[in-house]
Amino acid sequence: MPLGTYKEALSARSTDSKILDVSQDGGIVSALLCYALDEGIIEGAVVAGTPDEDWRPIPTVVTSADEVIAAAGTKYSMSPTLSALKEATRQYGLEKVGVVATPCQTQGLRKAQAYPFTRFVVDKIKLLIGIYCMENFPMASLDTFATAKLGFDSLTDATKMDIGKGKFWLTKDGEDSGLAIKETHGYEQAGCNICMDYVAEWADVSTGSVGSPDGWSTVLTRTDDGDSIFKAAVDAGLIETKPMDDVKPGLPLLEKLAKGKKDKNGKERENRAKLGLPLPVEY
Amino acid sequence: MKDRVVISPTTRQEGHAELVMEVDDEGIVTKGMYFSITPVRGLEKMVLSKAPETAPVLCQRICGVCPIPHTLASAEAIDQALGIEIPKAARLLREATLAAHNINSAAIHHFLVAPDFVPEELFATAVDSVSNIRKNVQYVVDMIAGEGIHPSDIRVGGMARNITPFTKERLIERMTALKSDLEAHIELIKNCVAESAEKMGIPKDLGVVNQPLLAVHPTYGVNEFDMDAFSEVLPEAWYDDPEVGKRGCSVIPLINGTNVETGPRARMEKFQGFKDKGVIAQHVARADEMLKNYDACLEALDAIDPAASARADYDPRGTGELGFGIIEGPRGTNAHMAKVEDGKIKFYSAIVPTTWNIPTMGPATEGFHHEFGPHVIRAYDPCLSCATHVMVVDDEDKSILKNEMVRI
Ligand SMILES: Cc1cc2nc3c(=O)[nH]c(=O)nc-3n(C[C@H](O)[C@H](O)[C@H](O)COP(=O)(O)OP(=O)(O)OC[C@H]3O[C@@H](n4cnc5c(N)ncnc54)[C@H](O)[C@@H]3O)c2cc1C
Ligand code: SF4
Ligand SMILES: [Fe+2]
Repeated sequence: MPLGTYKEALSARSTDSKILDVSQDGGIVSALLCYALDEGIIEGAVVAGTPDEDWRPIPTVVTSADEVIAAAGTKYSMSPTLSALKEATRQYGLEKVGVVATPCQTQGLRKAQAYPFTRFVVDKIKLLIGIYCMENFPMASLDTFATAKLGFDSLTDATKMDIGKGKFWLTKDGEDSGLAIKETHGYEQAGCNICMDYVAEWADVSTGSVGSPDGWSTVLTRTDDGDSIFKAAVDAGLIETKPMDDVKPGLPLLEKLAKGKKDKNGKERENRAKLGLPLPVEY
Repeated sequence: MKDRVVISPTTRQEGHAELVMEVDDEGIVTKGMYFSITPVRGLEKMVLSKAPETAPVLCQRICGVCPIPHTLASAEAIDQALGIEIPKAARLLREATLAAHNINSAAIHHFLVAPDFVPEELFATAVDSVSNIRKNVQYVVDMIAGEGIHPSDIRVGGMARNITPFTKERLIERMTALKSDLEAHIELIKNCVAESAEKMGIPKDLGVVNQPLLAVHPTYGVNEFDMDAFSEVLPEAWYDDPEVGKRGCSVIPLINGTNVETGPRARMEKFQGFKDKGVIAQHVARADEMLKNYDACLEALDAIDPAASARADYDPRGTGELGFGIIEGPRGTNAHMAKVEDGKIKFYSAIVPTTWNIPTMGPATEGFHHEFGPHVIRAYDPCLSCATHVMVVDDEDKSILKNEMVRI
């Protein structure tokens, strides 16, 4: 199963314009965090903000809807998000924590929960929202895309960053500039080429853009907790949904990309194994 | 006839020590010698030539029972050795951390002595009470200092971070809710000690010593130490029995040439007007002091401004002057001293609570039946692993080769 275990797949979107104005896709991540905060399911969350608005993701502890919304939007660089968990569960005093994590971070967290190393940290995680991820870029790569390849003066001129329709996009002065994805090859972090998980298979809820129309997200509810929190947010009117079968391009594209990642990166794993290079265990 | 009673190792304490008692025909102790036989770890040596920030990280591993005082003493010694004035918020966070830890440690001690004093029908109650108190005060240490055992967030220059207003409120709430349980716990322990002491026939003046007191602060510590009054002698020179002198693993620290008493009773006498002495008094003082630390913890929490910075910027090169971190730990005065030059630790020494008490505990057994010996030792709640230092010994017969302590 290229999408891992899930209970339900839906196309969905936040109903809050404050979220939709700034969210990357359907604002599902922010809507779920705001709902969970409001209901006391979590007391705060660890997300990737960019306080200097320079696209560098900085792990940030948020405890209010305003702070959640301020950190919305995808930064296509590595965020050491899990490093802020200690602060969240200590000086922030949070007993119930939400986390937004890429698939690799999701795996790391689940491993940490399975082993008794991280006392009073990972046991406080009550909601783990996974975001789909094909690859991730060092900041220097993003700078190169912006300046050398797209002719920007500086990466900070970009107001939005996205990957979709085969291109890496930067928006400046309301205008989108696209760079063909194959132009970005070789600029991704090396570990991403042996990563087998596209859709955060171990999260409570996973979400991303692929499979749904623009401005909507594809959601996979996975655990009992993830499923019930998502449904409750829908019942509360914070999220609207459509069946996957009713939207284009739908689940087949997500499955195709997830399988494509496993095939391609599976081969790269074989290559590296032949060279005697160490490989992280995949689950 | 002179006989010898040897208890090796003494139990229900941290680390390993030996109690050697010379007794007369009635079994009355005529000479008590207490000494550490815990192997050396050598942390004072390990930090040499390392960056100053290494010291609190490594030196907190001196002990797993009183890691907080070691971290604080180490951080304070380095702070002073670097000429750092820590922000007020950091000082308050440190004070709250230590006070909470000292309550925790007193509760652990109550668990260790429970088999001596707590009757069977109250045993489960006492253990539950210890757990309840520990859970709550350790929560305070966790939140402020990062970890209840080896704290990650007490840093050179202050603290890693301040707490948020939410956390401040939560900690105050939790501590406030603990008060009645803590008072009940103190009553329970004091009653058990009084009643069973009577039943067991523990003499009223068992363990009374009249040594000078070492205590520098009611609940926290200071950054000064009178080096002129301080001296150390080797166990060989201290113990009359050469065998004991050879095997003892800790130096004998003296103030104005004599051994001292340190710990909760010493603090309570010096700062709170506590009068009684001896074994029972040690237990009573330790229990009563929990409330003093409780007040100190809440007071510090209350005074913390969560918006303030909790860490100072500093120059890590060092002043070349000796810095002192003298912290009142659960078992007494914990003195760390350090010198930093060119950004590297050039000298490090720790004289820890039990080291001060070791020469005082043995004689405290004298004049009473040897059966009471272990009670005397446990009343002081020794913690041996931190007290142990090193010397050069012959591989073959373990005798001391160099009659000088190797500074570690
Ligand atoms: C490196 C990367 C690659 C991705 N690749 C794909 C893809 O190939 N296909 C696809 O469908 N979706 C991909 N996504 C997910 C997509 O870009 C959106 O993040 C996702 O759809 C959530 O959108 P939203 O509107 O629900 O979230 P929003 O409400 O906009 O919230 C986004 C959340 O993600 C957090 N975040 C932002 N950047 C990072 C980061 N670098 N690391 C961790 N958390 C971060 C933010 O703090 C915020 O909480 C990728 C995301 C990242 C970070
Ligand atoms: S591709 Fe895999 S390894 Fe790379 S950032 Fe995404 S989840 Fe992590
Ligand atoms: Fe100790």
